[in-house]
Amino acid sequence: MNGFAIVWQERALFLEGLWNTVSLVVAAIAISVPLSALGAVVLVEAPRPVARLARALIDLTRCVPFLLLAYVIYYGLPQLGLRFDAWWAGLVTMTLYNAAYLAEIFRSAWLALPKEGFEAARAYGFRPATLYRRIVLPQIAYASAPLVGGQIIVMIKDSALLMIITVREISFAANSINANYFTPFAPFVVAIGMYWMLSLIVEAWVRRVASGARLRYG
Amino acid sequence: MTWAAFETLLTGAGTTVALSLAGLAIGVPLGLALALIRWARIPVADQLVATYVSLVRATPLLTFVLFVFFVLPTMGLELDPVPAAIVTLALNTAPFNCEIWRAGLTNFPRDQLEAAEACGMTRTLAFRRIVAPQLWRVCLGPLVSEMTILLKATPAVAVIGVVEITRAASRIGAATYDPLPPFLAATVIYTLLIAVIVQAQRVIEALIARRYGYAAP
Amino acid sequence: MADAAPAVSARLVCKQFDGIEVLRDVSLDVAKGSTACIVGPSGSGKSTFLRCVNWLEQPTTGQILLNGAPMGVVPSPKGGTRPMTAKELALARTRVSMVFQHFALWPHLTVLGNVIEAPVHVLGRPRDEAVEDARRLLARVGLEAKADAFPHTLSGGQKQRVAISRALAMKPEVLLFDEPTSALDPEMVGEVLEVMRDLAKEGMTMMVVTHEMAFARDVADTIAFFDAGRVIETGDPKAFFTAPQTDRARRFLTRYGI
Repeated sequence: MNGFAIVWQERALFLEGLWNTVSLVVAAIAISVPLSALGAVVLVEAPRPVARLARALIDLTRCVPFLLLAYVIYYGLPQLGLRFDAWWAGLVTMTLYNAAYLAEIFRSAWLALPKEGFEAARAYGFRPATLYRRIVLPQIAYASAPLVGGQIIVMIKDSALLMIITVREISFAANSINANYFTPFAPFVVAIGMYWMLSLIVEAWVRRVASGARLRYG
Repeated sequence: MTWAAFETLLTGAGTTVALSLAGLAIGVPLGLALALIRWARIPVADQLVATYVSLVRATPLLTFVLFVFFVLPTMGLELDPVPAAIVTLALNTAPFNCEIWRAGLTNFPRDQLEAAEACGMTRTLAFRRIVAPQLWRVCLGPLVSEMTILLKATPAVAVIGVVEITRAASRIGAATYDPLPPFLAATVIYTLLIAVIVQAQRVIEALIARRYGYAAP
Repeated sequence: MADAAPAVSARLVCKQFDGIEVLRDVSLDVAKGSTACIVGPSGSGKSTFLRCVNWLEQPTTGQILLNGAPMGVVPSPKGGTRPMTAKELALARTRVSMVFQHFALWPHLTVLGNVIEAPVHVLGRPRDEAVEDARRLLARVGLEAKADAFPHTLSGGQKQRVAISRALAMKPEVLLFDEPTSALDPEMVGEVLEVMRDLAKEGMTMMVVTHEMAFARDVADTIAFFDAGRVIETGDPKAFFTAPQTDRARRFLTRYGI
C-alpha cells in the first residue's frame, strides 16, 4: 500500500499531533513571553542580589539541552511530589526553557535602545508604569521581533523532542506510523512538511512586524 | 549515584563531544561551500541551496535523524546509529553555518574588495588572499554559538539508540529509581563543556584582537 | 604614434545609475608625466569619473584610453568591441593604481604584506625582489620602521602613506587618488600631500580628486572643474584660480576663500 495513502488513512493521528504541537507552542508562548519580560525587568532593574540570582538561573537553563530539562520535569520532579502528565510536563518544559532565552533577547533589545527617548519621556512627566507601557515596551517589541520569531521556530523544533516523554505530537505520529506499517518515507515527509509550514507562518509574521517597524522607525 | 553510574555518564559525555566534533568537522566546511554557492550566485544551485537551508532550518533534529535512519535504508543506504547521527548532525548544522558564512561574506568591507580589484586581483584570488584569511575571524563568534547549539541538540539522536549524556542519565535514573542525581550530574557536565567552548572562544578572540586590532564584532 | 597618446584619455564618458545621470559627456586628457586635479562640489561626479578610469565603475557610454589602449573593452576583429573578460580586466587594472579615501588597507596583512601582496600574487614577481622594492618605497614615505606593523597601529596619515606605497609597488602607468586626505585629521593632511608633491615632481602621471585647493593650485598641470556630472572648465591652474571662466566655478572658489 502506498505510504501517502497510509498517512491519509491515519490522518486523525497526524491531526492530533499537529494540534498538540501547535497548542503546546501557543500556550508556551502565551506564558513565557510575560514571564520572560518580567525576567528581563529583573535582570536590568532589580537590586543586585536578585538580579544575580535571576542571571544564574537563566544562564543555567541556557546551558542545558531541552531534552534534559524535559526529563527532569517528567521523571525527576515526581520524586519531589510534583507530578504532571506528558502534555503538561511538555508545556512546563517549553515555557521555562524558552522564557530563559526570551528574557535574554528582551534584555539585550532593551539595552540597545537609545536612551534619549526615555529621558525625553521622563522630562515630559511620564510616570514609570506609563513610560514602560507607552515608550519602552513597544520599542522592545519591534526591536526583538526577528529574534523572537527565531526563538519560536526553535521552540517548534524543540517540541519534537517531547515525543521521547510520550507526548503525542507531530513526530510521534510519524514515528508510530513508521513503526506500525514499516513505511518511513511518507510519514516523515509529511511531518517535515508540517514543521516547514509552521515556520514559514512564523517567518511571514516576522516580516509583517519588520515592515511595520520600518514604517515607524525607517 | 555510584562510581559506575558516573563512568557511564562520562562515556556518554565522550560520545556527545565526539558526535559534535564530527558533525562540525563536516558541517562547517559544508556550510562554507553552500555559502560560496550563494555568494557567487550560481544559477539553479543558488535556489537549491536556499530551499535546503529553509527546509532544514524548519526541521527538528529529532525528525531529521529519524528520517535519515529509517528512510535512507529504503534507498539502499544502510547506516548504523552512530554514522546516521553524525550525518544528520552535519547536514543539520550546515545550513546554519552557511547563513553565518554568508553574512560574513555579504558584510565584508567593500573598500577592501575594491582595493583588491583595483590591484588587478580576480574574484577568486581576492577571495583566497583577502577575504578568506579575515572571514573566519569575523565568523568565529557566531560559529561558536552554533557549536554550543549543536552540542545541546545532540540528545535528539538518543531516539535512534545512541547513548550520549542525556540518554545515559535517564538510563541511570530508570535503573536506580533516583533520577534527579544523574540529571543534576548531566547538567554539570553540559555546563562545563559549554564553559570550555566559550572560554576557548574568548582566548582566541583576545589573541586576534591583540595581533590585528579587531575581533568579531 | 602610441607614444604621443595621452596617458589617460576620456572620451564622452557618460554614466547612469538606475536611470539617474551622474556623468555626462566627460572628456579629459592627461598627458604623460603630468598631474591633473579634479575639483568641484560634492556629488558632482568627480569620484565616479575617477572610478571609471580603472573600470571600478563601468561607463554607460564613452571610452577610456590608457596610453592609447581602450580600457574595459577589446576591439573585435570585425569592428566594434566586446567587454573584457574578468582576467583581461584584472590584467588591464594592473596598469593603473588607486589610492582610496579610506585607505582600504588589508587589516590581516602587515604594512609590508600590504605592499607586496599584489606584486607577488597578481604580477607574479619574485618575493625577495618585491620585498626589496617595498622596503625602498616605504623608506621613501618615511615608514621603513613600520614594515612589520599591522595597519591598526598606524595613524591615518601613516595608513595613507602605506596605501600610496602599495599603489606604487605595482609600477603603474597612472596613479589615481580619490580624495586621499578627506578622511584625515587636519594635522596629518600635510604629510600625505608632501608625498604626492614629490611624486608629481618625479614625473608620475597622476589624477587627483581633491578638496585641497592649495595643493591643486601648486601641483596640478591641469585642473578639471566638475559640476553636476559635467566638466565645466579645464585648463591651466593659474588661469582657473585667478580668472575662472564660469559663474559656477567662481561661486565654488568663493567658498574656499579664493
